[in-house]
Amino acid sequence: MKTFLFPIILQAVLVLLLAPLVSGFIKKLKAHLQMRRGASICQPLFDMTKLLRKDMVISEHASWIFRITPYVVFLTTLSVGLLVPLVSIHVPLSFMGGVLAVIYLLALGRFFMALAGLDTGSAFGGMGSSREMTISAIAEPAMMLAIFTVAITAGSTNLSQMVLVGQESGWKFPDPSHTLAFAALFIVLLAETGRIPVDNPATHLELTMIHEAMVLEYSGPYLALMEWAASIKQFVLMTLLINVFFPFGLGTDWEISSIAPSLMLFTVKLLVLSGLVALVETTNAKLRLFRVPDLLAIAFVLAALALASKFLF
Amino acid sequence: MFYRDPEFGSRMITLMAAAALVTQFLMVGQRILITNIRLFAVQSFLLSGIAITIAWFQNAQHIYLAAALTFVLKVMLVPWFLKRIADRMRTQPEVQPLINAPVSLLLCGGLTLMAYLVAQPLTLDLKREAGFELGHNTLAVAISLLLLGFYLMVSRRKALSQVLALLTMENGVFLAAISLTYGVPFVVEIGIFFDVLVAVMVLGILVYRIGETFESMDVSKLRDLKG
Repeated sequence: MKTFLFPIILQAVLVLLLAPLVSGFIKKLKAHLQMRRGASICQPLFDMTKLLRKDMVISEHASWIFRITPYVVFLTTLSVGLLVPLVSIHVPLSFMGGVLAVIYLLALGRFFMALAGLDTGSAFGGMGSSREMTISAIAEPAMMLAIFTVAITAGSTNLSQMVLVGQESGWKFPDPSHTLAFAALFIVLLAETGRIPVDNPATHLELTMIHEAMVLEYSGPYLALMEWAASIKQFVLMTLLINVFFPFGLGTDWEISSIAPSLMLFTVKLLVLSGLVALVETTNAKLRLFRVPDLLAIAFVLAALALASKFLF
Repeated sequence: MFYRDPEFGSRMITLMAAAALVTQFLMVGQRILITNIRLFAVQSFLLSGIAITIAWFQNAQHIYLAAALTFVLKVMLVPWFLKRIADRMRTQPEVQPLINAPVSLLLCGGLTLMAYLVAQPLTLDLKREAGFELGHNTLAVAISLLLLGFYLMVSRRKALSQVLALLTMENGVFLAAISLTYGVPFVVEIGIFFDVLVAVMVLGILVYRIGETFESMDVSKLRDLKG
């Protein structure tokens, strides 16, 4: 029982703590790139602990969907966090499913978030929901195709198996098709986490907002849960990108001696990827909403090509 | 050690070639001219990286020089020059393609597949006869860079983005040359480089003139009768 519970608890704690820190780190890095000092890296954590202590205002038109959505969204993203390899090849909940479970659990959370946006009947919520759905309808196939490219190399959609094959073949693992798939998945990461070419995470009241529009009606602890879930989602997608494409140095079991160096290496990779995200955010302007499908079309075509070139060569 | 292993070199080359293909796709989808110029610089940088890798694994000294020339000319000089023209023209920052981005991307996906299919028998023959592996996938990427460059040239309206398309086509030719023959003789290489430099200079002046006369970089205006 101990060997079963220990990985789950450790990974859950890591996901819950590291996710807001990564958001804070990207914000800090962006501030530095724009010659500002920026808030502390721990600011998202402070914000959430403060929100958890506050009262809530809930619209009288809201139904039960509005009330359960924060829990659904938070729990689905957290369980996705337990389905991806983080510091060890062995996934704590690997018996629950592989990469398809990851994609559809995220989709379930998104579905409820869109419902909650519509539920209160405010104009902004509906706008946010329709935009989120439009974008995810193109981003999701691109994400699937990109991940399947790696899954074909590994011969399995089980994430543990994919990472294991990647680690065993060392530098022989990266394939030209992986470059295309990585680029596609990076664009999807920017779109799914509401980063700048698609959505602006820094503003709260702007007509073009997507994620913020959906959670506009939430306050207090519910808002804290939604924000936490959003940062966990970002963290999980980054982890997926790092550990599927660069699985080197991942621990092979759950002993402290192999997890500790693996965690160090993972943090370094995470910092590099966060730097890349901050760089893209600083050097690009936000796209017009009707141009967003163009960007996602690039991701889709790249992912489709990656899969096709896998079969041609 | 792995950095002496020719197979490692082959991996690195195909990875960088695939990354160059990614930049080409970003150029097809991207509408801002300045970003397009930056993407061209990134693509040329990857190309000089490929050249250095080939030089290292083949012990071919003169390819180092080709890589250095690529870096100086195509990563620094040409983008700087094009950016200067774009700044001076002060026209709209968008490139205004004739065909919208999603359709162009799908077409380019098809072109790339075609390039892969065309390159496949060639590379298989090479593998059987000459028995070499180094960058066999690169020919497909080189052909698709060429085709996508053609496509960009046809579908773009502004003179400056057409110059950029011509340059990416040249990148494709360079990639094919170094990945198949491990570098043409040095005199030929120098000739090609100065050819490109002079072409860009002349085209730059031409673009500037078009802009001065028509107050736009749209080449379709050249067809209008004057009087």
